[in-house]
Amino acid sequence: MARLSAVILAVAFQLAGVAQRPQGQEFQEAGVCARCHVISVVEWGMSAHRKAGTGCTSCHGASVGHVSDERNNVKPERMPHGGAVARLCADCHKDACPKSGRKAACSDCHHVHALVDPNKQASSADPRLEELDTRWQRFSRLMEEGGKLLALEQWEQARAAFRASLEQKSGDPQASEKLKLCERRLKPDLLGFEITGKQFEDKTGLARKVRVVGLSIPMVLVAGGSFEMGSERYAGSKPVHTVRVGAFYLGEHEITQAEWKMLMGSNPSAHQGTRFPDADQMPVEQVSWQDAQAFVRKLNERVQGGGFRLPAEAEWEFAARAGSPAPGISGRDQLAPRLATAGGPDQLGLYNMLGNVWEWCSSMQRPYPFDFSDGRESASTAGLRILKGGGFADPGDLLDPAFRHAERQDRRMRWNGLRIARDVPAVIP
Amino acid sequence: MNTGGLTRRGLLVASAAALLKAEPGPAPPLEYQRGGMLYRRLGRTGMDVSLLSFGSHTDPVDRMRTAPPRKNVLSEQGQARRDRIIARAFDMGVNLLDVYEEEGQWEPAARMVKGRRDKVLISLATENPYLDPEQAFKLFGHVDLYRIQTSQYDSRTLETWDTLRKAKEAGKIRAIGLATHDERIMTTALEDLEGLDFIFFPYNFIHARGDYSRFLPLAIQNGVGLIAMKPLASGSIMELDPRARPGAKPEFERLQLFSRHVRPILPSAVAELAKSLDRMPDETLCMAALRFAYGQRFLSSAITGIFEERLLEDNYRALTRYSERRPEERTALDAARKVANLLGPNWLPAHYRWLEERWRV
Repeated sequence: MARLSAVILAVAFQLAGVAQRPQGQEFQEAGVCARCHVISVVEWGMSAHRKAGTGCTSCHGASVGHVSDERNNVKPERMPHGGAVARLCADCHKDACPKSGRKAACSDCHHVHALVDPNKQASSADPRLEELDTRWQRFSRLMEEGGKLLALEQWEQARAAFRASLEQKSGDPQASEKLKLCERRLKPDLLGFEITGKQFEDKTGLARKVRVVGLSIPMVLVAGGSFEMGSERYAGSKPVHTVRVGAFYLGEHEITQAEWKMLMGSNPSAHQGTRFPDADQMPVEQVSWQDAQAFVRKLNERVQGGGFRLPAEAEWEFAARAGSPAPGISGRDQLAPRLATAGGPDQLGLYNMLGNVWEWCSSMQRPYPFDFSDGRESASTAGLRILKGGGFADPGDLLDPAFRHAERQDRRMRWNGLRIARDVPAVIP
Repeated sequence: MNTGGLTRRGLLVASAAALLKAEPGPAPPLEYQRGGMLYRRLGRTGMDVSLLSFGSHTDPVDRMRTAPPRKNVLSEQGQARRDRIIARAFDMGVNLLDVYEEEGQWEPAARMVKGRRDKVLISLATENPYLDPEQAFKLFGHVDLYRIQTSQYDSRTLETWDTLRKAKEAGKIRAIGLATHDERIMTTALEDLEGLDFIFFPYNFIHARGDYSRFLPLAIQNGVGLIAMKPLASGSIMELDPRARPGAKPEFERLQLFSRHVRPILPSAVAELAKSLDRMPDETLCMAALRFAYGQRFLSSAITGIFEERLLEDNYRALTRYSERRPEERTALDAARKVANLLGPNWLPAHYRWLEERWRV
């Protein structure tokens, strides 16, 4: 059993690790089943069944429903267990086993897919396994060495170590990430950004605080990761589910009236004029989702490298949770927004993630689970767009990172504003 | 011109039906009976509403003026009477209670529904901006139906709507809707208000212009629940009944119409109405009017102001065989329409004359 497992794991490892390498013949033969059932296909690939042309469907049926059901609610047509395995074997093997003379309990001596005896000891070492083992050891050593160099901030040497480790195990995500980190630290300047401060994020090597060149809009790095999105507290925020977001930059504060005017030439805000002498530093509001899109379009035209956009709903919630903001102001406190930088920053350095004005997100309102690739991020689709964060006119219990509101793309309300996001831009060559 | 016997009303109703047929919409609300009460599904909300609902208006006789944001409260005796009628209505199976805080009814209503919150649906309206809905959420736990009540459609309407939507998203409200006396606002709202679940609109056998309005097929098509307000024209339909009320004193016999200044100009029309009503001794004009409203399958409920137990009993009795309207009933309703027509808008109290202007067929 141990030998079989080791060989299977080794082959699977080889297949998974060497993404560029063409897949084995057995994967082509297994067709659509090989998309998910990698181990089972490897097992079957070494069996006499494969040589005899007995494929997945011979035992499990065509299972059309299972194949087309991505969420795996529909099971294969046949999944024999226990005594049913021997009955299935007997469909083809009419006579008793030539070795044991038995007609039952076939799986005692034959692995269901590989058909080899799982109890048999390995007679000799597998050369494929040995080669893989050697490469793995080399890879580990180089990764360890690179890690030490990283700690010493010796970026060039560390880069060399990670490059070498990728030669041992091409496509390894950890090694690739570390290599990228070294390259970023060697060339930290990003297109369209001016780095402020000396803090760099440990995992990505990106500057934590930046400013948009020419406009001085401050932005903060959100390093990305996995988080539990949603809440059981609100009907529209269920179910809680895990979402992964990549690294991106997010506006340190909501776009102010001054920033809006600078780029758009007008000010749509309801809270301006003599009653609000500091209005320039208050968030712009009474902007629709379409207005917000126009703003980021202008920003992209003006700033080298582009990539400015509204944050996706998941990105916004991830940033709000990561920063653990203090409860912001709500309608019970005052009747107008406060300054965009009032109240102090959260742990990520973001201001007013909760309260003040609602912030438009790029995402359409669709039920959870959140999925970046299901069309909800399409900018051209009609439908409601998500707003997050709560506003000055709302009761305090709505100021929660999980609470989601949605509005028509063309509707302007005096408590709806925006905060910009940006993909991590390319480094300056 | 030979129209094949098709009346204008028939033609319009047929056109509306054809419009609905062209784009298959949802079936009429699901209806079922429990005890003596009938229930219908309210649009796509998933809530089942009793066909007879309990209106928010309190008896003017028992009202006492009070400080804002409320306008009135009921006298102790008046409140006890209202509570008693509401309790009787619950026993009959009425499950929708509309409540006005301007009449000081949030707290008494919360007390009444305590212990049966799962059986009774609470319906509130945005009465004035100084009333805090959060207070209602605290009192009732959640509100089943919350509506904006408006005669103007502007940015304030949209802001209030936005607030209601957020409260619904937070689970404090189950369904949000609109009550208005203006047909244009209803049509605009159907296109403009995101997530509109229901509409309260004026409807009775005299003020049935809703039948011809663009809003009606649009609402049905969108799965918006419809609840009839003023099914008795704010009680004025009862006043058209020339017969004595049970228990009335002899001097009140041949009640309103015969004792008022209009009597001399109406003898034949009133006589016709009295004659047709005499043919159905077991039924009042009020019951016939309600049966007309109950018979409209697009309505989920008819909401009436109930100040007396007798009226509640009348409204309840009207539920029996509501779908089989008798010929003498139709004659009585026609005769009542004629009387109302001859009286002009004066048969309604001054502050309800908009019904005649906007909703009469």
